[in-house]
Parts: sequence; structure tokens; C-alpha cells
Amino acid sequence: MFLRIVADSLGRRPRHKLLTGAALALGMGVATASLSVSLDVGDRLAKEFRSLGANLIVTPQADSLPLEIGGVDYRPVNAGAYLPEADLPKLKTIFWHNNIVAFAPTLEMYASVATTPDAANSPNNVQVIGTWADYPIYLSDGSTFATGINKTSPWFHIDGRWFAADAGTLKRVNVFDLPPGAVGGHTYVPIPDECVVGVRLAKRLSLHTGDHLYITYPNREDMHNYLGKPSIGCAVTGILTAGAAEDDAVLMPLVSVDRLARRGPGEYRKLYVSALTKPEDDFARRDPGTMKPDEFERWSCSPYVSSIAYSIKQVLPGADVRVIRRVAEGEGAILTRVRTLLWLVTGAALLAAALAVGASSAASVIERRTEIGLMKALGAGSGTVGFLLAAEQLLLAFVGGGAGYALGIILARLLGEKIFGAAPEPSLIVFFVIIALAAVVTILGSALPLHRASRIEPAPILRGE
Amino acid sequence: MADRRATNRAMFWRIIRRLFGANRGRLFVMLLALGAGAAVTAALLNLQVDAKRRLTSEFRRFGPNVLVLPQNSSQFRTETLPESIVHSVPVNLQSGRVVVTSHLYLVARLSPAGPGESFSAVVAGANPLAYLVGAVSSSSRFPGTPPVIPPATGHECVVGTNVARQLKAEQGTDFSVSNVDRREVCHVASFRQTGGPEDDRVEIGLRAAQRLADLPGRISAVELIVPGTPSEVQTYIKDLQRALPDADVRPIRQFTEAQAKIYDRINGLLTATVGIVLLLTGLCVMAAMTNVAMERRMDVGLMKAIGGSMRRVLRLFLAEAALLGLAGGMIGAAAGILLSIGLGKAVFGVAARPRLIVYPVAVALTVIVAILSAFPLRRLASIRPASVFRGEA
Repeated sequence: MFLRIVADSLGRRPRHKLLTGAALALGMGVATASLSVSLDVGDRLAKEFRSLGANLIVTPQADSLPLEIGGVDYRPVNAGAYLPEADLPKLKTIFWHNNIVAFAPTLEMYASVATTPDAANSPNNVQVIGTWADYPIYLSDGSTFATGINKTSPWFHIDGRWFAADAGTLKRVNVFDLPPGAVGGHTYVPIPDECVVGVRLAKRLSLHTGDHLYITYPNREDMHNYLGKPSIGCAVTGILTAGAAEDDAVLMPLVSVDRLARRGPGEYRKLYVSALTKPEDDFARRDPGTMKPDEFERWSCSPYVSSIAYSIKQVLPGADVRVIRRVAEGEGAILTRVRTLLWLVTGAALLAAALAVGASSAASVIERRTEIGLMKALGAGSGTVGFLLAAEQLLLAFVGGGAGYALGIILARLLGEKIFGAAPEPSLIVFFVIIALAAVVTILGSALPLHRASRIEPAPILRGE
Repeated sequence: MADRRATNRAMFWRIIRRLFGANRGRLFVMLLALGAGAAVTAALLNLQVDAKRRLTSEFRRFGPNVLVLPQNSSQFRTETLPESIVHSVPVNLQSGRVVVTSHLYLVARLSPAGPGESFSAVVAGANPLAYLVGAVSSSSRFPGTPPVIPPATGHECVVGTNVARQLKAEQGTDFSVSNVDRREVCHVASFRQTGGPEDDRVEIGLRAAQRLADLPGRISAVELIVPGTPSEVQTYIKDLQRALPDADVRPIRQFTEAQAKIYDRINGLLTATVGIVLLLTGLCVMAAMTNVAMERRMDVGLMKAIGGSMRRVLRLFLAEAALLGLAGGMIGAAAGILLSIGLGKAVFGVAARPRLIVYPVAVALTVIVAILSAFPLRRLASIRPASVFRGEA
């Protein structure tokens, strides 16, 4: 009988129920959309902040003091310490490997550059930076991770293309006509050097993409003794606009600069790491050395920039990992602000939706005084009447809440795709929160009118007074 | 004729009054729904206008975003600018104050006061010195150093952590900085760890650096923190370049580009979220109100029975809805603006400035929503009064 009354009531005034349901669905749609966006925004914005580039810098512990002014190091080429490139794939094996978005090692030196192979009239002391660009790293799970300076410095604009990852290395080729006495079926041929030239240097030398640039030492004799030719040539693959010191520099693959600087292969001096982090709070700024074991565990299991720095230090022996405060702190502050802001918007949306939905359910109870009077006249107690109406409202809440959730997810998807180019994942928690919220709001909205309805005297109502 | 119209009008308002008084519960519910909508509209609009402005000032935290350098400076910054150039930099913008720091760089030898060898390091003369203007945030200090601001003696210096390690310097001790035959005493005022080139430098007062380099009145670069939206910063750079034809004004693209990108994203996010919330809240309020309005078939039936034309009946209900919207909107919007002041304080630490334009906009939107939600009453035009009274339908 109970179910029959509820079913009958729902079917009897469809338009009315439809409107209450619509109010519920719209209200819960707002709540779902803003909740989904708020939950997701931290991660999305953290990714956006990577357009600021690296937030960690790794230098050799034993390094001498850099004499850097305006991005140019005045130290003699061979002063200071170096780190081995071979350790770098380990960065993708640390606990936070998924948070490491990009990294790029660099090695700087000074050389003379010219547009002719004999390197006459060449400007001296041009910065030559060896680094990676779209350099593939083969991970243990069989996938490839491409990283380099184009990822750690996303503001670099290149006209043309970056140098190939394997330029300046040796390529294995099969030899079909084996010379007598050769072992194996292959040999190695060098791949020609490639380089990218900063826009201001390119203008000074009137260089264009496709031209050749010749690099030599300030003392030509040295180069002759070392390589047996006056200079090393490279094909200019692109012109770089960086808005900083790199505009006056030549960028080459790290191996090429290692060779030029007469360093062993795969040595670098600075490593820039761009990592997704969680904004630092007071806890994050504490010295890990003074933490209790459980605190340390909590610290190292949160992607704070300092704990990521700590785990990088673990895999790169002899390295000093520092946080680039300028980037990391600005990022943290803005991220926290935006997050709070969106939570407030969400809160406001929830409040408005709750009030409107509550008002709607209150109205639907108020209008049913006659029905309540009739039920009571037929012998139903206040409890039964309240229970009946509450059940009806709850049923509506579940249907409306479910529809609202679907609506909200679609909206959040549109919003996410339009702004961040990626939709937030629908989350089950949000679904339960929304359904619970819909139930609470409808019950609260109808509680007061129901309470008043329970005190209704049936007789005056039935008389039409 | 005029008499009849006056009577009509009196009757119109009397009916309206009665409509309001007829059912207190319903009146309360309608006001609640409309007021909630208006409050959220006003709060979000106010917050949104304010948040954009605040966000641009948050970008200050990234530090300098514009550089003024000597023209045609080579990579090795040996050219200098006259110090007086700083006076031509406009500092008071609509979006806030520009923070100006002038620098003179040189490589000098540092000798520790105690035992230890002297070594070369970059010395940056800065005006004003960083710790005095508070540009160093608390966490960028050397870990464990309390923020002590000693009385200015003109010899203070801020020592980068890497230099400090090599100098084995303690806070409050002195060491000497020399260049050729010139010499300055440096009193360690604070340490600095930024993860940038500042870690490898000693910052001293600009005057001291000029004496060391024997370049009185000259500077190597001016760093500016320009607040504002990305387009405002671009305009500022263009104007400054025009004002300083002898210098090279350059954006630090790492920060200007990232700021532009991030600003666009946050702005889009905020606008879109606020837009969707407002739209859905409006629809939700409308659905709730329509629901209430549809309950009025008895009233409509009665009015039609005693000879009211549908147009006049509808006008009555629309007037009622508009009045309700006005009342709900005025109360709700006021509450919303108060709310946004509090919210602004919660997010940005500074109370959001109430924008007067938001109030009428929020009230007008509420009235529109209220009137739109009364429109479905038009559907009642087809009902027959008799069937209403018989209790059918």
C-alpha cells in the first residue's frame, strides 16, 4: 500500500514532479560540474605552470663557484666539476618518476664561430651550450621518454627544427662488401653535427637555417693539434629566440660539446629538472633531518618540490639538488590561491543549488495540505504521513541527483576540454557526494513544511477552510 | 476616465498585496530561492572582477619580468648605463607599483676574515638591497637563519649560500671584497638561497659596488617587476623603450610568456565556471519558481471566472513576480556582496573591494529570472474556470 501511494503520487502530477526534478537536476548539475573542476584543477594547473620551465637545478657538489652574470658563466672552461650523463635515466626510476615532466643536462663552453671553414675573422667568446632536445630515453618498461631543453624551457621559440638527437654520434651501418680481414658485418660512420643558433648571433653573422657554422678554439693551433682541421662544422637547423642569454649562443647536442670541450662523452655541468609539485606548506619546509620516522614518511610521500629534490639526490651521487625558488614559490602561491578560489566558487554554487532545491521541495509540500488532511482523516498518523512524503521526496532526489550528475559531468567535460584540452575524469566520489547532497537538501527543504503539516487538523482542511 | 484608471490601479495593487499575504510559506520559499540566486550571482561577479586584478599582482612573486640593458650589449656585460636612467622609468601604474632594482655587476675577490684563501665571485651592487625591500621571502633564506634586519650601515651584504659555504661566513661577521687596488668591507646581513645565480653571488650596496668597479654613477642593468595583465606589460615595455631610446628594454620571456599563458588559463577557468554556475543557478531558481507558480491555477481560475481577461491576469502575476524578484534580488545581492568581501579575504588575504556595478546587475538578473519563471502561467490561459471550481484537473 505504501509503495502504491508513492507510485500513484508520482504519476498523478507529472508536470509538477518534472519541475521539482528539473530544479534538483540543475542544482546538482552545478554542484557536480564545479566539484569536478575543483578536484581536477590542481593537477591541470600544475601542468600549466610547467610553462615556467625547470623548478629544480642539479649541479656537481664539488663544483667551484660559478661566476655567472646575465646567464653567462665567466669561469675558465675546465674549472669546476662534472656529472655523468649515464646516471640520468635513473631519474625516471625514482618514486616520483611520474612527476618528472622533463629534464635537460647542459654543458657550456666558449669558442670562436665563423661562417667559413677556415674560421677567419670569427667573433671569439661565443657561448656554446651542449644539451638535449627531444632526446629519447629508453625506460625499463620498454617505453621511450623524450626530453630536453625544449621541454624544460618551453618559452624557447625555434624557427626551423631542433638538432637531431643522434647528430654528432656514430651510426652503425651494415657493410655488405666486407673488406678482407674485417670482423663482423658492420662499421660506424659519424652523423654530421647539427646546431641551433641564437637569434642575435644569427643576425650578427647573417646566418640562416640550412647554412653552416664553423666552431673553433680562440687559438686555431689548438684545434689543429686536436682534430687535424681548422674547425668543426655544423649544419644550422634552426634559429632560437629565447629572450635571454641563449639568444647570443650556439646550442649543440651534448656529445658534440663534450668533444669540443675535450671532456669525456656524456659529461654535463648543470641539469634542469621540471617536476610537477604540490605547493609547499610549513610542514614541507622543515628540515627532513629533524623529522620523526612517520613524519619523514609523510613528507617523502607528498610531491613537495623539496621531497622530489631529496629523491633525485638519492639517485645522482655527487650532485647538489637545489630548488629554483623563484619558480617554485611563485607557482605554489598562485596554485594555492586559485585552488581556494575555485573551492569557494564551488561552495557558493552548492549553497545556491541547495537553497533553490530546498525551496522547491518546500513548495511541493506546502501545496499538499489537502492531501495531508485527507490522509490524516483516514487514520494515518503524523509519522506515517511524514514518512510517505519523505520517501517521495527522496525518490525524486535520487532521480534528480542522478540526472544532475550526468549533466554536470558533461559540463565539466566541456569546460575542461575548452580550457585545458583535457576532460576531468568522472569520479565515483563526486557521484556519491552529489546523491547524498541531493537527499540531504530535499529532506531539509521539506522538513519544516512537513513538521507543520503534521500538526494540520484534518477537519478545517477538508471543509475547504 | 482618469477616475476609472485610478480605481483600476488601486485595485491592481490591492490584489497584489493580497497575493503576497495569502500564503506566507510560499512567499518565504520564493524569496529564499530568488535571494539565494541573487546572493551567488553578486558574490561571484564581485569576486571574479576582483580575483583577476589580484592574480596579476600575485605574479609579482615570480620576480622581475622586464630588463633594461645597455643597447647592443654583448654577451659579456661590460657596457653600462647611467644610473639616472632609473628616474625615467614610470613606477605608478593603474595596476600597481612597478618595483625597480638597479644592478652593477663585477667579478671581485672575496677574502674571509678568518683563515682561508681568497677567491673570485660575482659581486652585484643592488639598489635597493634585496633584504631591505623584503623581496626575499622567508623561505628563501638560508635554512635556520632568523630574519634579522640590522641597522643600515651601508656595508651590509646579502651572501648567496654557495658563496657563504666557501667563505665559511657567519651572520654578523665581516669579510672584505677587493677589485684591483680597491677594497670594501662587507658585513654579512643575511644569506640567500634561491636556486638561481644569486646563490653564487654577493649582493652589496650599489654605491659600494660602484666604488669597487670605479664606475661612479653607472649601472649594468635595471630589473623591473611590472604588474598587470600580459597585454598591459607588453604596452609598458613598448612605452618604456620609446622613453629610453639609448637602452634596450627586454621582457624576460620565461616569465612574461608563462604568465600570459597561466593568466589566460585561470581567467578562462574562472569565467567559464562562474558562467556555468550562474546559468545553472538561474535555471534552477526558475524551475523552483515555476513550480510554485503552477500551483496558482485556482487563483487564475477565480480571476477568469469574475471576468478578468487573460492579459490582465497575467500582468498581475508578472508584476508580483517582478516585485518578488526585486525584493529577493536586493536582499540577496547585498548579502552576496558582503559574502564576497569575506571570501576575498579568505583567498587573497585582502578584502575584495565591492564593485557598485555588480549590485544593480545582480538585482536586474534576479528580476529577469523571476519574470521568466512566471511566464509559464500563460499556459493556464486555456483552463476553463468551471473545471477548476469543480476540482477537476
